[in-house]
Amino acid sequence: MATLETRGLTKSYGKTRGIEDVTLEIGDGEFFVILGPSGAGKTTTLKSVAGLVDVDSGEVTIGGVSMNGVEPYHRNVAMAFESYALYPQKTVSQNLASPLRSGRTGRYSEEDQQRRIELVTTTLGINHLLKRFPRELSNGQRQRVALGRVLVRPADVYLLDEPLSHLDAKLRAAMRAELKQLGEMSSTTSLYVTHDYQEALALGDRIAVLREGRLVQVGTPEEIWHRPVDTFVAKALGQPEINLVDAVVDRGVLRTQGDALQVPLAGDLELAPDDHARIGVRPRDIELSRGAEPLEDHLRVRATVRLSERLGREIELTVDAGGVSLVAVTPGAHVFDEGQSVELDIPLDHVHVFAAPAGDDPDADSARLGAATVEQVSATSGRQQ
Amino acid sequence: MATELMPGRKRFTVGTVLADVAIVGWFVFSLFPIVWMVLLSLKTSADQTSTYFAFSPTLENFGTVLSAKGEALTSVNFSQALITSVINCGAAVIVSLVIGIPAAYAAGRWKYRGSNDLMFTILSFRFAPELMVIVPLFVIYNQIGLFDTKVGLIWVLQLVTMPLVVWILRSYFEDMPAELEQAALLDGYTRRRAFIMVALPLVRPGIAAAALLAFIFAWNNYVFPLILTGSDNSTVTVAISKYLGGGGQAYYNLTAAAAIIGALPPLILALTIQRYLVRGLSFGAVKS
Repeated sequence: MATLETRGLTKSYGKTRGIEDVTLEIGDGEFFVILGPSGAGKTTTLKSVAGLVDVDSGEVTIGGVSMNGVEPYHRNVAMAFESYALYPQKTVSQNLASPLRSGRTGRYSEEDQQRRIELVTTTLGINHLLKRFPRELSNGQRQRVALGRVLVRPADVYLLDEPLSHLDAKLRAAMRAELKQLGEMSSTTSLYVTHDYQEALALGDRIAVLREGRLVQVGTPEEIWHRPVDTFVAKALGQPEINLVDAVVDRGVLRTQGDALQVPLAGDLELAPDDHARIGVRPRDIELSRGAEPLEDHLRVRATVRLSERLGREIELTVDAGGVSLVAVTPGAHVFDEGQSVELDIPLDHVHVFAAPAGDDPDADSARLGAATVEQVSATSGRQQ
Repeated sequence: MATELMPGRKRFTVGTVLADVAIVGWFVFSLFPIVWMVLLSLKTSADQTSTYFAFSPTLENFGTVLSAKGEALTSVNFSQALITSVINCGAAVIVSLVIGIPAAYAAGRWKYRGSNDLMFTILSFRFAPELMVIVPLFVIYNQIGLFDTKVGLIWVLQLVTMPLVVWILRSYFEDMPAELEQAALLDGYTRRRAFIMVALPLVRPGIAAAALLAFIFAWNNYVFPLILTGSDNSTVTVAISKYLGGGGQAYYNLTAAAAIIGALPPLILALTIQRYLVRGLSFGAVKS
């Protein structure tokens, strides 16, 4: 157990940027998630902490001790590789015993080793595979063995590179729920890398969003979800993606094309008349109107259903609001007909306002300016996905 | 594999029949010299220049080659040459492996300024015709007392075996995912132990293949031992050629018998080492 800090980690591969100026402060026992699309530099960050990548500049500190020039085997970190990296010539049992036999993670008697392996394989549901070789396992099983090789030993920091990515959906959900409860995991500082926003939101004490090697935002899941710093973070979280609609300030109101959405400007938004901006609304924040009267602090939107799909308990609606296409996910009981008119309510505090995209690219990411109402300092509403 | 390539029953078409005929023809062509050598080795001296397939075979030639009778004809002890060759080639391969494996590992794992140039230089030892370097080598060997010694020949055989070992094994190390050794480092093992514990066992098939090829190349080398050894440390290749006369009478049947005996050690080695030549041990190490 230890704190983990990185300061200004920078690494490039030839002309390609790996990571740039990655600075993180991770508390003792914290479960910290790095979220980002592939190629964002997540694995490079992990390997820099492990000492497997020689960074161009920057420093890693574990437990207050600088790791500059410290060999990986002296750093006391354990890592689950995305590629598993199981020793092919060794059985599962021998793979798991490997960190216990090196002598650098503590001394373990033969019984100690057996007990630890037994414990961790039972938790991970792989204790019937101990005699098998990695080539005789499915990808999901290999991934659990790789995770087991981390959990079997105490370490200052656990580094987990997409440890759930190859499990099937059901097992992944189950493992996700269990992961943080696993004995060692709950008390060991962990750096967890994923491209799956649900994993990040569910597991992370805090989340860092990484894009093209740079940190975009660091914060609690609530902060990241409710106050994304820009459209990139907003789009990275949530499936279906957040609705982004171009709008113009006119007479103190942000209006979209055809006036379908009219967002009154709250006091803290610094927008002048005729300024362009983008309105962001998450599909799950759009509700079907229940009453005829518009609710207080809600936007009322009239729209026509273009597409209505049932996704399990929920319905995904694609609607057209005066030429603006919106996606909504509602817990509705019935599927709508194409062409049917609906009325939608959007709580104003869930309406995000982003700056207009700079330059000519209409899809360029832009910073968040605020919400449609004056924001509370702490976002207290429940976690949503 | 074979079943995947040929699913179901084999169909006969003009194309497949022609292909089969071509293969058989090629086999006959390429194997005929060996067949002829075997036949020749079984002929008596009276029959040795005949081209008939019908003759009364004898094993006498093999006895002659391995006994003092052969030595009297050629002034080279063939059995002794056989032993010398085994020692020379064995030692040359071992030296090449001891130096070449770490070299190949370094070349496969780390790219540094000039690493490719270095690898090319090592390979270039194979470009130069042996006859080009043999004269200076002969002069040097004479002066420093390595002429007609085993150490001298083992040393010079490195020119033959080392590039082979380094180049073959480098590609094996390159194919092996670096994350396996990285995992070992994080398990708490030093780089040396990670190499020995993880990397080395995985390239065993490569080591077997490289060692076998290196041995065969060293075994078949003729020019170096011809020029750099005298009668004390003659090798098999030189000893075989002595039966061709060199001005005196040529004993084709004895040459053939000697050549067959001389081909046995590499053959035996190849058969013993065969089971280590399987690749694919690293399947399942990392996700594909």
